[in-house]
Amino acid sequence: MNTCSSVDLEKIPEYVEKIEAIREIIISNIVLLGQIPSPTFKEGHRAKAFLERLTDSHVDEVTADAYNNPIGIIRGTDPAKPPIFLVAHLDTFFDREMIYNFTVGPDTIEGPGLLDNSLGVAVLASMPEIFRALDLQFQSDIVLAGVVQSLGRGNLSGIRHLLKTWATPIRAAVSIEGVEIGRLNYYSDGMIRCEIECTVQGASKFAERNRPNAILILNELINQILSIGVPQRPRSRIVIGQVHAGVTHGRLAQQGIIGLEIHSDAMEMVKELFTQVRDIVSELNQEFDATLHLDIVSSLQAARLKFNHPLVKTAVAVMETLGLKPVSEASESELSIMLARGIPAVTLGITRGENKYRENARAQLAPMYKGIAQVVGVISAMDNGVCDE
Amino acid sequence: MNNQWLQKNTFHHSQFGDLARLVELKKRRGVTISLCLPTLNEEKTIAKEIVIMKSELMTRHPLIDEIVVVDSGSQDRTLEIAAQYGADVYTATDILPDLGDYKGKGENLWKALYITHGDIIVYLDADIKNVHHRFVYALVAPLLYYDHIKYCKAFYDRPIAEGDQKLRPTGGGRVTELVVRPLFSLFFPELTQLIQPLSGEYAGYREVFEQIPFPIGYGIETSMILDISEKWGLDVIAQVDLDRRIHRNQSTKALGKMAFVILQTFIKRIADRGRIELHTQLFNEMIQYALQGDDYYPEIYRFAGHERPPMIENPAYRERFNLPEPDGD
Repeated sequence: MNTCSSVDLEKIPEYVEKIEAIREIIISNIVLLGQIPSPTFKEGHRAKAFLERLTDSHVDEVTADAYNNPIGIIRGTDPAKPPIFLVAHLDTFFDREMIYNFTVGPDTIEGPGLLDNSLGVAVLASMPEIFRALDLQFQSDIVLAGVVQSLGRGNLSGIRHLLKTWATPIRAAVSIEGVEIGRLNYYSDGMIRCEIECTVQGASKFAERNRPNAILILNELINQILSIGVPQRPRSRIVIGQVHAGVTHGRLAQQGIIGLEIHSDAMEMVKELFTQVRDIVSELNQEFDATLHLDIVSSLQAARLKFNHPLVKTAVAVMETLGLKPVSEASESELSIMLARGIPAVTLGITRGENKYRENARAQLAPMYKGIAQVVGVISAMDNGVCDE
Repeated sequence: MNNQWLQKNTFHHSQFGDLARLVELKKRRGVTISLCLPTLNEEKTIAKEIVIMKSELMTRHPLIDEIVVVDSGSQDRTLEIAAQYGADVYTATDILPDLGDYKGKGENLWKALYITHGDIIVYLDADIKNVHHRFVYALVAPLLYYDHIKYCKAFYDRPIAEGDQKLRPTGGGRVTELVVRPLFSLFFPELTQLIQPLSGEYAGYREVFEQIPFPIGYGIETSMILDISEKWGLDVIAQVDLDRRIHRNQSTKALGKMAFVILQTFIKRIADRGRIELHTQLFNEMIQYALQGDDYYPEIYRFAGHERPPMIENPAYRERFNLPEPDGD
């Protein structure tokens, strides 16, 4: 089956209105699930509520795997067809000690963790009702998987476990993210995520003025990392994304930590750059009266679909039918794990938003229905065999 | 004190999570249910309440039949947003306009009796940050499960929102503990079994609400308990634990005004019932002081203590609901 016949493109725009007609169910899921705190490693309450939502939508099978990934299975009409996975990570960057108060406005929803990835989870939980509203049945089982322990030190453990222990082949998969609509991720860079912690031993008050400052040591570390020659081919980069150090304005910092990621579309280059970072850390360890400790938090292999893979071409066609302009870049997420296991997969964004990592993250409602329609279009294409060759 | 009522008529929302069963009970009883949200500048929370109730209790489970917003004159976008999300929206002044215009929650609730259609009415405050559909179905459930229960109140574990994102674990219910509970203890000890008599969420049969007067302001919750328990007995009342309700914090000064109105309402009732004898008329001004620079200035809050008579006495209401004329003397 070629990409043109794998999905009826004319039908996709009709989905948008029908999906908007059940907006209360989708928004309700965003609020009810999104207001449950779900920091990485503590997703239990949200996972339970996710399962309750699926049960309430009469999903055929609702369960949790040994890793506590909540899963719903909508049975397909052809038991011979392998399942199609729809995935969204349950964890957010915010901790439990705050109010997860969402505000629904005329055109927007606002709240902490909304865009990464409460909105994605809510769309996943709404899929049974969306399929019902669109009168869609699939040959394949549709597996709706909220995955735990995805972010940061979670190291994508939930999706790794889910795929590793899934007994049958998987036909294809879509990973859902809250933002941005128009994203079409079909490749992942190789990546090493690491943390470097600098600790200065405590000293008497008299000796304190001569003690090294952890912040200045980390500053030297950053300067040296920035001087590493990062090649353009293979496409590579080092991102220093986190710094925490010190206690108060007038005291020398005894402790500090930086978090960084090394990316490249060639895993060998990731390893080479990591070796250079490690050498810098070793050197600074000898140079300063302090301890620098390098810890690998996560590592991913580079994996990709070709740009002319039928799934990619079909996803582009679906998006363009909806007036969306696809934007592709590397994504190191659930997608990496799925592609690395040979599962044809893409990541799609649902709507437009702003303040993604702030407490007042805001999503626009109007584009959301189009974003969901594109997911349905891509699943339909998968079900019609676009990935089966 | 005998606390049999507390043992018998107190529930937890988790007892009523089977919504299909509730819908079945509703059908069996042949009743309709209205949800009424009294509002005043609630643009931050109103959409959330409407969307969740509509999705969960109208679309998924047809438990409620209408959502009605009665507004006291919001200056923000409350009405526009409520209408956009599908609620029937009314301004209190437009309902029964010939009867005058008072501002207050009790006024909105009283007028809601006229414009709602349900046999059961659920009143829900519109400022609940962690709103969940249990706030409605768990209040309705005892009315559907038990023939003798006609009125059901919520109670909570009440953390308070401080600032935008901080939680303080307790502090709710100050007026209850410092004013209402001592009064109940002195005059109606059996009513102390109500854990949170001032909670703003309750459900009841129309036949109950239409037969009691409605103070137009903060006194409404107190008066309902006093009037319903006097007219039908405490056994027709139930209370349901809805777990946590996060709402905005109120200043001590604001709570002082609330306490003033509640005292007015309470004293009027115990005087009317001959429980106390007043030898002087009560003043209708609450006086609080504010420091400006080096001087203290009085801030005066006037509250006349108006009450709306039982709605059933209103001819327009009787006509609207095809009720017979009352027997003449």
